[in-house]
Amino acid sequence: MTAHELKKEKRIQEIIQKIDALGLELVKELEAGENPSLEIPIRGSSNIYFDEKNRKIRLGDKVSHRYLFNVSHARKFMQTMLVASYVKKDLLENNLTATLRDLYYAKKHTIEGTKEDTIDEQTESDQAIVDFEVALGTFRERLHLRAEPKGRMAGEMTVVDHVRDKSDRINLAKMGSGGWAVPSIVEQVEFDNVGVEYVLVAEKNAIFDRLNEDGYWMKNKCLLMTTAGQAARGARRLLQRLSDELKLPVYCLTDSDPYGWYIYSTMKYGSMALAHESERLGCEKMHFLGMSTTDIETYDLKSVTIKAKEVDVKRATEMKNYDWFKSKPWQDEIDLFLKKRLKAEIQALSSKNLQYISKTYLPEKIAAQDFLP
Amino acid sequence: MEDNTEELENAFKEYSVAEFFKKNRQMLGYSGETRSLTTIVHEYVTNSLDACEDAKILPDIGVEVDALNARPKKTVIGEGDGSATEFDLEEQMCKASLFEVLVNGIKQKRPEEYVVKYGKRGKQNVKQVVFRQPPAEGTKIVGEWAIGHIRVTVEDNGTGLPQSKVGQALGMLLAGTKFHQQKQKRGQQGIGAAYATLFAQITTGKPTDFKTGTGNNKVYSGQVSIDVKKNVPVINGLQEAKGNYRGLKVSAEFAEVSYDRSDHGVYEYLRRTALANPHAQITLVEPDKSIVVFPRASDKIPAKPPKIKPHPLGLTTSDLIDMASVTSARKLSSFLSSDFTRISDDKANELSKLLPEIDFDKHPRKMSWVEAESIVHTFHRVKFNAPDLNTLRPIGAIQLEKSLKNLLEPEFLSVIQRKPKVFRGGIPFLVEVAVAYGGKAGAPSTSKEGEVMRFANRVPLLFDAGNCAITQAVKNVDWNRYNLKNLDEQPVSVFINFVSVHVPYTGAGKLAISAEEEIVSEIRMGLMDAARKVGYYLSGLKKAEDQEKRRKIFFKYIKEVAAALHDVTGKPKAGLEAAMRKIAESKTALKDEDEQEDEELLALEEDAEKEVEEENA
Repeated sequence: MTAHELKKEKRIQEIIQKIDALGLELVKELEAGENPSLEIPIRGSSNIYFDEKNRKIRLGDKVSHRYLFNVSHARKFMQTMLVASYVKKDLLENNLTATLRDLYYAKKHTIEGTKEDTIDEQTESDQAIVDFEVALGTFRERLHLRAEPKGRMAGEMTVVDHVRDKSDRINLAKMGSGGWAVPSIVEQVEFDNVGVEYVLVAEKNAIFDRLNEDGYWMKNKCLLMTTAGQAARGARRLLQRLSDELKLPVYCLTDSDPYGWYIYSTMKYGSMALAHESERLGCEKMHFLGMSTTDIETYDLKSVTIKAKEVDVKRATEMKNYDWFKSKPWQDEIDLFLKKRLKAEIQALSSKNLQYISKTYLPEKIAAQDFLP
Repeated sequence: MEDNTEELENAFKEYSVAEFFKKNRQMLGYSGETRSLTTIVHEYVTNSLDACEDAKILPDIGVEVDALNARPKKTVIGEGDGSATEFDLEEQMCKASLFEVLVNGIKQKRPEEYVVKYGKRGKQNVKQVVFRQPPAEGTKIVGEWAIGHIRVTVEDNGTGLPQSKVGQALGMLLAGTKFHQQKQKRGQQGIGAAYATLFAQITTGKPTDFKTGTGNNKVYSGQVSIDVKKNVPVINGLQEAKGNYRGLKVSAEFAEVSYDRSDHGVYEYLRRTALANPHAQITLVEPDKSIVVFPRASDKIPAKPPKIKPHPLGLTTSDLIDMASVTSARKLSSFLSSDFTRISDDKANELSKLLPEIDFDKHPRKMSWVEAESIVHTFHRVKFNAPDLNTLRPIGAIQLEKSLKNLLEPEFLSVIQRKPKVFRGGIPFLVEVAVAYGGKAGAPSTSKEGEVMRFANRVPLLFDAGNCAITQAVKNVDWNRYNLKNLDEQPVSVFINFVSVHVPYTGAGKLAISAEEEIVSEIRMGLMDAARKVGYYLSGLKKAEDQEKRRKIFFKYIKEVAAALHDVTGKPKAGLEAAMRKIAESKTALKDEDEQEDEELLALEEDAEKEVEEENA
């Protein structure tokens, strides 16, 4: 057994022990004639706060008890137990991983003697999975549950990926036009032959393709990545590891609009929905490269802007109040946006010429360290 | 001179009686085929009930309605197309005494499957069959009908009539004993069985059969009709037989009447009469020979109401005319002061001064309708002493409860008897209210669920509901507060009996109680009292239902959870299940405070989840 395998085996045993402890606690309650309950931290804004010191969105310590014998809890309790059983017996004990949808289908059936299904919609089992994660104080990758993978990468670096008893070495400089697909679980991935100085993450596939075609990452010694919209867990975890383990600076490139800011803030601070995982998903050293509202002026893009919609303004007003947007540069950025009410896509730079982004915009911004925090 | 007077009087009577009926047929209840039949049965049955009550006999009343149609005709009304629900009827069919609708040869139930309604075709009124569900495509809709006569036979076990009184009771208009001794009587409502005799005579030309005995071993039978010109009874074929028979049997044949089970029909009339008279046993034989028995609920015969003369404030114009026609007084002034309570000579004098155009010295029978009308009006301008409060005779809460339980077998029953109140500044009345829920409660004869049954002195009021104080009071109650939202759709029977010596009817037809403020408000209070108890009962039910739901939810997931917990801990399933069942059983009991707190937490959580969803959207 390799060191890596040993480490993995140890992790699995840790989780199994946690699940056992939770089960035995329930049995103890049952034997004492008590209403069995699961202690689950409350998720949602009432129990979420911004940890100024560590710059992370975190879950507070408010917990709720989910009882089996409570009209409004019973069904959720049952579903959470189905997740526990599937994770322990089907996944961990067999060293297998599965998707959320796999779990949904594995555990969906009609309850004996009723016309009711254990799970109606996948959102129900997804919810139960998150409940189980927070109840155990762990995250779904450790439970061997996979989300949909999303995101691609290219650059001078080799990753070593362990798939069960096989190890693959992948040179990210030789991935062609498509790049390397970031898997949904990246815990097992190791980095090697790192020949880059920073990470450039773009929210859009189109930008990745543009920069990849221009050979931007080769010329600028960077690791290029796309999140293809809102970043998936795998991509976020990977960014955090690149930043923490390799001490690489990370620059983020999104459209100039509240949705772009939000994608950035999720990668950097974590999200409300996954506040319990900010610790291992947040990449707090990330910088916002652009597009900023100021860029619209600086690069004379006014003619290719889009008028902000009502919903954008509303979103921006809300975000202005988020603790993690309270720094002066961001407040100014949001104020400017609210004043001008203009959005711009990164592709707006193509109005100059196709390679303007790789030859002018990015090098200038990075050289000037013209970022938002 | 004396002879001359009598001649004049006769002439007056001839004119008034014949004309009176023709002109006032509607007011007397003889309008519409269904209603006419109900009125006939009503006249006979109230006489029977009164006769039994007088003699302290438990009434046993048989009513038979027989359609005398040898061969009904069949006429195609239309063809179903899967969507049409209304089909016009030919005029002749509308007048049929027997009418059935068949769809592809299958007899349809009325009113569950169809109703007959008046509709408009252009400017013309037409009668239509209206189906609740459109008949399927291609089905043949046929009307089976017959214009014929209906024979109504009513038999009771009352005192019977002595031979000498038969003619007066059945063959003389306005000869009823009811106007001599005013007391709170059912008969106050009716105009008399003699009108039924007259109606039979007018519509079929046939006399009314009777058979009676008073228990003195003599039984008389024969046929009675009315000499309309002289307003005297004519008895033919009188036979005397020996036999131990006591009671009265009347049987007559009518046209321009029809039988159905609508909520204005004979069936509903008798059902309600039975409800209001728990001491009576009523049996109905319907035209299709089905026998319906409304069994006796109580052996207690109601106490006789005290005899009192009518109070001026409780009179209608037709009451005054009717009383004048039978009074022994010779002058209008003495008629007023002798035949009524609380009209002294002084008061009669006061009245005459207020009505200088009326000659108070004339014979009461010469008083015209218009004059009677102004006298009734003027009564309200004179201050009379209030009538005796001690004259009210309600059914009584205990009796009413027995009766409603007997016929409706309700799941829950609430009966309220309110204290006497007065209206119009002095006329005493009281209200009895019952609300029955579940069981057979609810309207049996209509598509509606809930029913409101109106009574005045135990007599069912089946017509003109819209103008009635009772209907108004029902509308003024917020039934929602008592878990009885949409009363029409609830399995509920609401029973209201208005008790008074003088029921303030809205018209001579005596169909609805005048919606006077004191009355409406008192009925409303009664309804609310009764409904409150039903509301408590229903909210209790809801609790029990909640408990049952909780139980189901708790037990439903036990197997699933036990299997999962077995997977996780390896403990035997059976033991886990048993432990869970034990706890579930104890937790099924009503919510404790803990759970409420949990619910608050859960609400908090749900809010949080919503936020997250919005965030992700």
